[in-house]
Amino acid sequence: MEEKLLTKLFEIKDSFTIDVYLKHDGYKAVEKAFQEMNPESILAEVKNANLRGRGGAGFPAGVKWGFVPKGVDKPKYLCVNADEGEPGTIKDRYIMTHNPHLLLEGILIASYCVGINTAYIYIRGEYENVALGLEKAIAEANAKGYLGKNILNSGFDCQIYVHRGAGAYICGEETALLESLEGKRGNPRLKPPFPALVGLFQSPTVINNIETLSNVPKIILNGAETFVQTGLPKDGGTRIFGVSGMVKKPGIYEMPVGTNLKEIIFELAGGMKDGKTLKAVIPGGMSAPILTADEIDINMDFDSLAEAKSMLGSAAIIVIDEDTSILDVLKIVTKFYSHESCGQCTPCRIGTKWINKTVQRIADGQGKIEDIDNIKRLAKNILGKTLCPLGDAAALPILSIVNKFRQEIESYIGN
Amino acid sequence: MSPEFSDKVKKQVQDILAHYPEKKAALLPVLHVAQQEFGFIGEDTERMVAALLDIKPVQVREVVTFYTMYNRKPVGKYHIQVCSNLSCSLLGGAGLLDFLLKKLNIGLGETTKDKKFTISTVECLGACEQAPCMMVNFDYYGDLDEEKIDKILDNLK
Amino acid sequence: MVKIFIDEKPFEVEEGITVFTAAEQAGIEIPHLCYHPAFAPEGTCRMCLVEIEGVPKLELSCATVVRDGMKVSTNNERVVEARKGVLEFLLADHPMDCPICDQAGDCKLQDYYEKYGMFESRYSENKEKREKKRKIGQTLIHDQERCVLCRRCVRFTREITKTHELGVFERGVHAEISILEDGPVNNKYSGNLAEICPVGAITDLDFRFQTRSWFLKSGDSICPLCSRGCSITIDSHKGFSHFKVPKRVYRIQSRRNENINGFWICDIGRYGYGYINENRLEQILLKNEQNEAMDWEKALKILSEKMKKVHPMDRSSGAVLILNPWLTNEELFLIKKFLIENQEFENVYLIDIPDGEGDDFLITTERSPNKRGLQELGLKAKSLSSDKLPEKIKLVLAFTPPNIDSAGSASVKAVFDKAETKILFASNKNDLSDVSDMVFPTAVIAEKSGSLINIDGVLQNFSPALEALGDSRPEWQILVEMAKEIDINHKYYDQFSSPETILQEIRKEISDFGKKSD
Repeated sequence: MEEKLLTKLFEIKDSFTIDVYLKHDGYKAVEKAFQEMNPESILAEVKNANLRGRGGAGFPAGVKWGFVPKGVDKPKYLCVNADEGEPGTIKDRYIMTHNPHLLLEGILIASYCVGINTAYIYIRGEYENVALGLEKAIAEANAKGYLGKNILNSGFDCQIYVHRGAGAYICGEETALLESLEGKRGNPRLKPPFPALVGLFQSPTVINNIETLSNVPKIILNGAETFVQTGLPKDGGTRIFGVSGMVKKPGIYEMPVGTNLKEIIFELAGGMKDGKTLKAVIPGGMSAPILTADEIDINMDFDSLAEAKSMLGSAAIIVIDEDTSILDVLKIVTKFYSHESCGQCTPCRIGTKWINKTVQRIADGQGKIEDIDNIKRLAKNILGKTLCPLGDAAALPILSIVNKFRQEIESYIGN
Repeated sequence: MSPEFSDKVKKQVQDILAHYPEKKAALLPVLHVAQQEFGFIGEDTERMVAALLDIKPVQVREVVTFYTMYNRKPVGKYHIQVCSNLSCSLLGGAGLLDFLLKKLNIGLGETTKDKKFTISTVECLGACEQAPCMMVNFDYYGDLDEEKIDKILDNLK
Repeated sequence: MVKIFIDEKPFEVEEGITVFTAAEQAGIEIPHLCYHPAFAPEGTCRMCLVEIEGVPKLELSCATVVRDGMKVSTNNERVVEARKGVLEFLLADHPMDCPICDQAGDCKLQDYYEKYGMFESRYSENKEKREKKRKIGQTLIHDQERCVLCRRCVRFTREITKTHELGVFERGVHAEISILEDGPVNNKYSGNLAEICPVGAITDLDFRFQTRSWFLKSGDSICPLCSRGCSITIDSHKGFSHFKVPKRVYRIQSRRNENINGFWICDIGRYGYGYINENRLEQILLKNEQNEAMDWEKALKILSEKMKKVHPMDRSSGAVLILNPWLTNEELFLIKKFLIENQEFENVYLIDIPDGEGDDFLITTERSPNKRGLQELGLKAKSLSSDKLPEKIKLVLAFTPPNIDSAGSASVKAVFDKAETKILFASNKNDLSDVSDMVFPTAVIAEKSGSLINIDGVLQNFSPALEALGDSRPEWQILVEMAKEIDINHKYYDQFSSPETILQEIRKEISDFGKKSD
């Protein structure tokens, strides 16, 4: 059964309005946080909830907040990552569209906890209509006194701005996002320094995903203990699984962390479209190494997928059927990463394009048998050698596809 | 003639600038506004935006050419962007792109003679549950098939 | 200080420095392209990755700060494999046109391939086609195909000249360094771009297709074209046994000097070396005896006779000495001791070298290297262009600088017109060399040693970067020999076997000479 912590209101009419939200315990968590709690107890609660980042890396949000130094003169910033560029990922758009106030409430609590007065929602430029909705929600919250100066008489000020990206997958990487927000090319930064110390405008900065922050109000309202009862002890709560590809009912499904992938595909998403046979599944957005049909009996949590040498990532599930050529998949994967490489570091800039060209050549019927090993070799030369995670994000799925579907790829290469 | 923002847009830009402690941070949103206003970001617009934000034109060019959403040349009244990523391709996105190109009788990246439509491909739009999907200006259209595309185009006047 | 181990050897290094710097100090080379000590590390080329014990991924040596007890491997199998991999990527799209590339011989890609690569190309795809010769500045050609996107050039125009001509446009494999259509590189330091380019992407039109770098000999010197005194290297060609090459000096590059010029030189200094090659005086000239070969011994004898002919009574009023601020401290000192004090030249004039445009970086308005030395030696000279000349002039000794302009030579000419005997010491032909009774060819700064004091009071010693041309000699040597020929205090002048010995003598008289830096 679906467990609706975040998506509960989605089906209610006008769920995006502050009125509907208020009718359903909306902004109650903020009231509790401001009136009954203090930044330290909020941080403790979020840490106890073990809320792991929903953007992909799974870093605990409470720990991240705790990295921000106290008592610095500079303003601090919260950057909300709504870039949602990982192919297959759709969940954040749903939250922003159907329950933006849940997000705003999460932002508010996080800001209060860390001592932040300005938050930016960095939203991918293609989501213009979603951005307009967010801005409306922000205006509503301002009008009702949940944003702005002296919120709920707490003495705390907070403002949220929506910042539109302009078409660059790499801006989902947190330091590229910061560069982009500063009006520059989305070139990831060297770390250290980490954003918690030197982030946006050289100031301490927290960067959280939409879904991560949207979990915060429930944690505050119901307590960490309740939160961890759903999902796994060290990886609590739910995930909004986005299912796409060759299934009968593509869409989002909110389920406890650790739900079985097979169950999601065959029960929630209705199984295979047009009675096709399942060939492979990408379980966590395109960067996640591919799973073959006999690997999908797996629990969807960070540890289980890591053990299977894949990853939960953004929990975006792409289902591939038997009629789809794996070479087509590889072509799309390699084209995507070479298209989205920012180009600043050598292995990613040149390596992703090289592999893409080789795959294209195989697809054009000009492949040589040694190309396969060469692709693997090149992917390994990218892996772990790049400035930002995009290199690994490209290399890992490529390696998994070539390793697991080698025979099929060979079959596209003539003698 | 160098382009200039209308008073209404100037006000809009002032509002945007107020969001940031540094003028330069407003570059992406201001470029969006400029594109809305002029249809594309030409050299003159780059220069104007640079002056507005106290940065060098070369910094504007760096940004304009990094992000795919900024058009460096005029596009049609309706810019159709068809997703070419995985979920959409699994469900026939490539065929629909061919259908569109044939229907409008143009090549990829080209604009119809009446300047009404431009077609290009785009990486994942984040609407995979509605695959295959496309974007017309800022509006998303999903669960596409040929019939649906016919209807959509008919409604775009 | 922290203790670290590099390739299993222990080193005590300063806290806060990077692994790269620590290795460099230990004499261990780590290959790199984007890293340049003038800029903050960007970590994009990925050539300098090293293994640090306990860290799962290879780390950037250029950006990782040393920690006590850190164990770094710069050359183990894993590091070498990664390096090879990066190099293979860099070379995949590279045009491999080394035979026609001016960077060949100076190219890091070449060096690293030879040292760490040596693999067969496994690239079977079509190479990206890019623009190969775009003129991006007055003296700069950009070859996009050779570019490795290290962004050194972009950072230079952004952080050093703050002129922002260059940027990175497009992204991914299409990313390229470029200028705007109407915005060529136009600053007074543009030549540095060709110099800091680690590959053949930005080449210098002045050097392009002129010679190959391996035929050149590099020598250190100081730029004399303004009073900054930037450290430079001068690359010169000795020629071949069977044919002459058209130039001697082919290239001037900057030489790192934290106290003066950092890593950079201006274009005036970089391209203004023509005077070393062209229009040089190579032989001693004696009026009406042009065909007779004249050696130094004979010439100095004649000169000494001419000097002795001036009656002691006429010395103070009738002998004129013309100096210039290109003379080294040692030469000026000898002039002071020998000509002014001993030979009683009281009418001392300085050739006026007009000021040029300066800036707030390196270029000073003074277009000569040693005005400050002149001051610190207490040499009082009148202005040749504005102060009155003596009524009657028996003898004039004129030292002219290579960059004397027409007004300057006209002012000397005015003295010559009044003088009975005219002696010229010059490195280059000028309006005066034809009307002098004797012309002594002198070496230029690049060919001699000595010291200069720059605008900020910093005394800098320098050595010859190349041999003196033809029969030319440095002025200090000529002066010592003149003094000996005239036979005054032989013993005193005997000790001056080199500029260093003269500087020692200067310091005996002025103990803080050249130590008054601002």
